[in-house]
Amino acid sequence: MTRFDRLQRELRGSAIALVMVGAATLVVYVLALSLDIRRGSAVYLLPVLLAGWHLGLVPALVAAVAGVLLSGYFFFSPYYSFFITRPNEIIILVLFMVVAAVTSHLASSMKKQTEIARKREKETADLYAFSRRLASSSSAADIYRAIEEHLANLVQRKVVLFGAGATARRDVQSEAPALSERLHSAIAGVQEGRIPATTVDDGGDVWLVRRVSQKNPDFGVIAIDLGSVPADSVQQIRQHVDDVLADAAATLERLDVARALGDAKMRSETELLREALIGSVSHELRTPLASILGAATVLSKSPAVANDERLASLAAVVRDESERLNHDIQNLLDATRISRKQINPHNEWIEPQDIVNSALERRRRHLSGHQVRLEVDSNLPLVYVDPVLVGQAFVQIVDNAAKYSPAASPITLAAKRNGSNVVLSVRDEGAGLTAEESAQIYERFFRGSRHLATTSGSGLGLWIAQAFVSANGGSIEAMSPGAGQGTTVAIYLPFVSPTTAPEADSDD
Amino acid sequence: MTEANPLALIVDDEVQIRRFLRAGLELDGFSVEEAETGHEGLRLATLSPPDLVILDLGLPDMDGSEVLERLRAWSSVPLIVLSVRSNEAEKVRLLESGADDYVVKPFGMAELLARAHAAMRRHVRVSAGEPVVRIGPLSIDLAARIVTVDGARVMLTPKEYRLLQLLAQHAGNVVTHQFLLKEIWGSPHLHDTHYLRIFIRKLRQKIEADPTQPRILLTELGVGYRLVTPETAAPAAAD
Repeated sequence: MTRFDRLQRELRGSAIALVMVGAATLVVYVLALSLDIRRGSAVYLLPVLLAGWHLGLVPALVAAVAGVLLSGYFFFSPYYSFFITRPNEIIILVLFMVVAAVTSHLASSMKKQTEIARKREKETADLYAFSRRLASSSSAADIYRAIEEHLANLVQRKVVLFGAGATARRDVQSEAPALSERLHSAIAGVQEGRIPATTVDDGGDVWLVRRVSQKNPDFGVIAIDLGSVPADSVQQIRQHVDDVLADAAATLERLDVARALGDAKMRSETELLREALIGSVSHELRTPLASILGAATVLSKSPAVANDERLASLAAVVRDESERLNHDIQNLLDATRISRKQINPHNEWIEPQDIVNSALERRRRHLSGHQVRLEVDSNLPLVYVDPVLVGQAFVQIVDNAAKYSPAASPITLAAKRNGSNVVLSVRDEGAGLTAEESAQIYERFFRGSRHLATTSGSGLGLWIAQAFVSANGGSIEAMSPGAGQGTTVAIYLPFVSPTTAPEADSDD
Repeated sequence: MTEANPLALIVDDEVQIRRFLRAGLELDGFSVEEAETGHEGLRLATLSPPDLVILDLGLPDMDGSEVLERLRAWSSVPLIVLSVRSNEAEKVRLLESGADDYVVKPFGMAELLARAHAAMRRHVRVSAGEPVVRIGPLSIDLAARIVTVDGARVMLTPKEYRLLQLLAQHAGNVVTHQFLLKEIWGSPHLHDTHYLRIFIRKLRQKIEADPTQPRILLTELGVGYRLVTPETAAPAAAD
């Protein structure tokens, strides 16, 4: 609480005290007139007592002084004047003053004691409830929530937990912008273990920052907003927080949360490392691949190879396999881009059939072993998407159809309008999907167990296609009546009308 | 082009790439010069002006686009850029600054040769004033402004003709959306790709046997359009 708040409270208390004194004066004055009582000053002890109990020491003293002045004015001769002539009356007033002061002090300190006792009782009850809650906690998330709620309840202000595994990360994200630079650096310092605990004065508000467990940094850091409190009560709260956290840390140990958190941390670091590796290796692999593929295509056209069927087919193997490898590398790069959230669509108006036709163009050789059918509606509405991303997604689907359906079987590429969507689809008469496969098919790295031995693949294709399509506001759906009965995979793209039309083309 | 073999200049820092490019180009009847750096490439281009430049973008000493700009300052030599995938914006930028076409690494030799020949033919057409572009059944007489399919005259509106004319002038090479939009509708409409889509759709209805499955006027997703000659159509299928 600031000094200003306190002043305001005291002023309000004093005003109320004065009103009470006024009321008492009125009562006594009426009594004095009707019953001819001349010694009403003792009545003023009542407002002093009430003020001391309810409003604190200062209003009580104000009431005492006001009482003395008013009784001097009304009840001591000469009446209606602050002058007092008789010495015994002066002594009475002085005595009254002393009694009033003692009374007000007693009342206010008794009130304080009662409040402290009540607060202690509540704290003990809270702590007891907290201990019981800890004892029944079965997960780290429960414990962190209990700590957060208990301490927030204790200080009646903000409590923020940092870096304690997945449970606390949400707090870092939601609260972080509200915390100051100074506080962040203190939290970072504690997190890195340079200091076990600290208090930070953040523009008038004192924050207590410490590790949840002094032994194990993995349990994270807690920051508690104490508001503007004097130094001695910081010490007291700190003691209380220590007790609470000691209890909580013991429970966390009991649950073996340390190991689980350590594992999670290691997993996310491994994931980052793996993606960095994939990114750089893929680039390194592509350069020699460009030479291999280029050289193979030159060889296949050289007279010595072109005239020998066996050599020509070998050159074709080199070309095909390097193309496949290139495709796999591209998938790895795309997957890395997706998990790093680096997909930024560059939208433009697109003729839906162009996506189908360009996939067909790019995969003509891939599809040469199948009967390809095209079902493209004329005059489809334009769609506003990133043509490259949607094009790549469609190529993935075409590749899957070619891969999981027998040679010479038909594959149908279609572009149709369906309600408010343009639907691009690929239908094959191949391996189909079992119910179990249908449920898992969109997962990263998922591959049907039926195909593991017979068909190579990374399990990334459909996952990438889905990520690319949803980045464009569309959706993807794989449908199959069952194993061996073919699959249809459809991309749904919502369409909106262009805002302007080109001016009519005159025939001049 | 002279009677002697045309001269191709390869600017690429990867020795293995240069090696297969040389072999492929020589098999196709080119004489070949190689440069490892941008400066070396510019020097060679000045010493003995080539008929074709193959330019890699990732050079050690300077950016490929800078080589392109410096070369274009004084030469209109047919130039094909070797690019990496998934960077359509860069492709468009290079085409706008004067590259005739691009191929994406890894690429097959036939694809590169098809792009190169298309660019060289355009050069010849411009310098020799050859007015007629023939693409399969389609014939475009740029002087008489007459378009026929299988000998039958096709009536086009002025904008449709302008579109086809621009594509025909670059037959076999890609033409960017931005270039077409700027030439036909003017600079304020650079991003109105839907104008283009609508006119391409009309044009396809007039010149393609099956407009839903175009064989002549192909789309390069995210970049532009390409009017294919039989040569440029071939590599994707047979390479």
